[in-house]
Amino acid sequence: MIREAIVIGGGASGLAAAIALKKKNKDVLLIEREINLGGILNQCIHNGFGLDVFKEEYTGPEYAKKFVDEFRSMKIDYLIDTTVIDITKEKNHFHVKITSEDCGIKTIISKSIIISTGCYERTRGQIVIPGDRPRGVITAGSAQRYLNINGYLVGKRVFILGSGDIGLIMARRMQLEGASVLGVAEIMPYSNGLNRNIVQCLNDFNIPLFLSHTVTEVESDCNNKLKSITIQKVDQNFLPIKETEKIFNVDTLLLSIGLIPDITLLDNLKVDFDTRTKSVKVNQAYETSIEGLFICGNSLQVHDLVDNVSKESLRAGKAAANYLDNLVEKRQVINVIPGKNTLFTTPQMIDFGWVNQELVLNFRVQKKIDKAKIKVYQGEEVIFEKIKTFLAPAEMETLSFDYKNLHKNKDLLLEVEDISL
Amino acid sequence: MYDFLIIGAGIIGSSVARELSKYQARIIVIDKENDVANVQTSANSAIVHSGYSDNPGTLKAKLSVKGNKMYEELEEELRLPLLKTGAYVVAHNKTEENQLLELYDNCKRNQVPKFEIIDGDEARKNDPNLSDSISKVLSLPTTKVTYPWEVAFAAMEVAIQNGVDLVLNSKVIHIEKKHDFFVVKTQKGIEYHTRNIVNSAGVESDDITKLIEGNSPFTIKGRKGEYFVLDKRTKGFINHVIYPLPSEQGKGVLITPQYHGETLLGPNSEYVDNKYHAVTSFNGLQYVKKHVVDLAKNIPFNQIIRSFAGIRSTSDYEDFYIQESKKTSRFFIVGGIESPGLTACFAIAEYLVNDVINMGNLYEKKDNFIKSRVEKIKFNELSIEEKKDLIKKDSRYGKIICKCEKITEKEIMDAINGPLGSKTIKGIKKRTRAGAGLCQGGYCEEKIVKILINNFGLKPLDILYDKEESNLFVSETKVEV
Repeated sequence: MIREAIVIGGGASGLAAAIALKKKNKDVLLIEREINLGGILNQCIHNGFGLDVFKEEYTGPEYAKKFVDEFRSMKIDYLIDTTVIDITKEKNHFHVKITSEDCGIKTIISKSIIISTGCYERTRGQIVIPGDRPRGVITAGSAQRYLNINGYLVGKRVFILGSGDIGLIMARRMQLEGASVLGVAEIMPYSNGLNRNIVQCLNDFNIPLFLSHTVTEVESDCNNKLKSITIQKVDQNFLPIKETEKIFNVDTLLLSIGLIPDITLLDNLKVDFDTRTKSVKVNQAYETSIEGLFICGNSLQVHDLVDNVSKESLRAGKAAANYLDNLVEKRQVINVIPGKNTLFTTPQMIDFGWVNQELVLNFRVQKKIDKAKIKVYQGEEVIFEKIKTFLAPAEMETLSFDYKNLHKNKDLLLEVEDISL
Repeated sequence: MYDFLIIGAGIIGSSVARELSKYQARIIVIDKENDVANVQTSANSAIVHSGYSDNPGTLKAKLSVKGNKMYEELEEELRLPLLKTGAYVVAHNKTEENQLLELYDNCKRNQVPKFEIIDGDEARKNDPNLSDSISKVLSLPTTKVTYPWEVAFAAMEVAIQNGVDLVLNSKVIHIEKKHDFFVVKTQKGIEYHTRNIVNSAGVESDDITKLIEGNSPFTIKGRKGEYFVLDKRTKGFINHVIYPLPSEQGKGVLITPQYHGETLLGPNSEYVDNKYHAVTSFNGLQYVKKHVVDLAKNIPFNQIIRSFAGIRSTSDYEDFYIQESKKTSRFFIVGGIESPGLTACFAIAEYLVNDVINMGNLYEKKDNFIKSRVEKIKFNELSIEEKKDLIKKDSRYGKIICKCEKITEKEIMDAINGPLGSKTIKGIKKRTRAGAGLCQGGYCEEKIVKILINNFGLKPLDILYDKEESNLFVSETKVEV
């Protein structure tokens, strides 16, 4: 049997993509490696989810349940406790190799694939913090899972490196469980988390935030257990400044130093990669450089809000259904290039074969800009222009414009001009 | 009463235990660590060197050439992981080319079985990312890469299945010689009686000698080496072990492809005051980055997944010290075993047992010596048919626990249950590689915790990362009443 679509991952992204496909009457199978649907939302027991999609504030599990309920009511096929180990493309079909304790190794064939595998946490090793390698240095998401799902507290005296949202949320969470959070260090001169989290998770608990600081030393006791950490102020090149050392005696260093799209399943497919997003390139239909292979949610780009993951994945699922309905015409691709002050864009390509596909262009700025003029060029011609205030790397921006009348052989360039003064 | 008590369960203690276990003798290995292979064996370049750089006539030269050959001989029997990479020692200019010629002579004198000097361009055909400025290389085809933990486990498992006792978490604090036996006392207050002692205590081999003799014929100075690990997606970036020319500081900063696909960059070489403690430093890691670019271009520094430091036990004796103590008979010292110690481990054990201890004159050989190691399944290395067959036999091979390294539940169970089983997170990582990949345990650690609780009855608060008291959790927040 050949499936029409396989969705890999049963978190916020995969659920939405599968629902969108099923709404278009597609035969879809969702594969989830955990024993529950809902993904990382299950461990996000704080509130703040759903304001955009449902106009109401939910906790992570509540938000997940909304989608899981809809998913279940539609009788969509799914497998849990099943890991995808390999994907290959042979002729026009994808071969998805799965394994589970119940079924062993099997190959499922499908006409299209939607990758919704989320992201993984950057580790200590990737940013190279010198010192010992003791127990007690742990990513914030791992500590969150242990605490909220399993009910295990990883430490009593905590320092947090990185002011990403998970770190901020965990600062409050650990404090509420009776641990002392001694501070948060952020290497950038500004926080990388949402402003509401700085206020609610740090300020409300008098937890100091050390901007332009990083951890420069990790020390363990003789049992390979964390004893202390040293933070230092950094200069413009992010190098530690001498004699600014502060030592904190802690048993836990939580790392909230970034999320990276998890696309390891694509290792054996030759997909065009974008070093900026650390994921693969897509066109406006969330289709990668391989026809019929779609990607969305945090495995495409790390989002600030789950609402945006759901919306993006609904669009991706819908696009995959259109692909299966052969609604894609002759392909003609131009690139979208991130220019001045922009970190990246998605999509990275516009494919004119996708005739009725709405364009939602996401990007992040490189630095905080109070007032900016956003411009999209094709050659010398400005095809879109907009003034916007208060842009920051921590907040993803979205644009939408009609691209049907563009030249079909010239790339687009996105620029953000700082007009703050 | 034991016949032999071996102090130190690193690669040397393990190899010596295996070699001695061929004889009808009662043997015990004790170590202060909570696991085999935890110090020097745990943090090094993993290279089986060819014997190219050791001074002719030294034990280092003799035993590394022989040890290299023994890896090939024992590959099947002990199921040793071996990646037959070969190595290039590189020269950038005329001065260095002359040094390369001296090294070529050294190979000849050390009886390295194969070696030749080739042009830089020729080498770049095989290893296109070699630096363009490299003019000549000394090719060393017998150099290979292994996985040191696995080598130590292999040797120790064979020793154990031949009756050797292993006692961990036991620091030796007192040794006394009575008439014809020794009393060895550990920090836990336990006394062991033995007729012979083998001191293979690595960085502490001088300290152990001092316990009985007051001083040591050599002093170990810790020499630190720091490394970066590049993700296994860099596999093929460099295919050979790449050495700069050796210097007084040793073999230099290298690029080393690893058995499981990663690439190692390093080590630097720095004498440290505290030889018991290996710590990475900002300056040390910068030094590695700065020097490694002399060897190759396009180095994927953005794919670093880990950094670590190791301590070499460098002695002022300058060669391996493998002798019976001149002061205390039946006290055998295997000290100053730094590089090429991993290479030479099996040859060191054989030399000690045959030539220094003269075991053949003292004890009968066992006629029931079990030489092969129990098969250890590495699921990910099997063909798809073999995998499917195994899952039919045991469905736990179908369940992936570590997604980065694709380690199955059954392999985790085996690592916990095996003859050298471990119930710590680090111990399980050493045995299976669960947690060694891109996410560094972010995904699988929690699943291993569940296995330890559900299948082995551990209490959450008792689960250890590594040593005693390195507990993962400080309290439970959802205790049932």
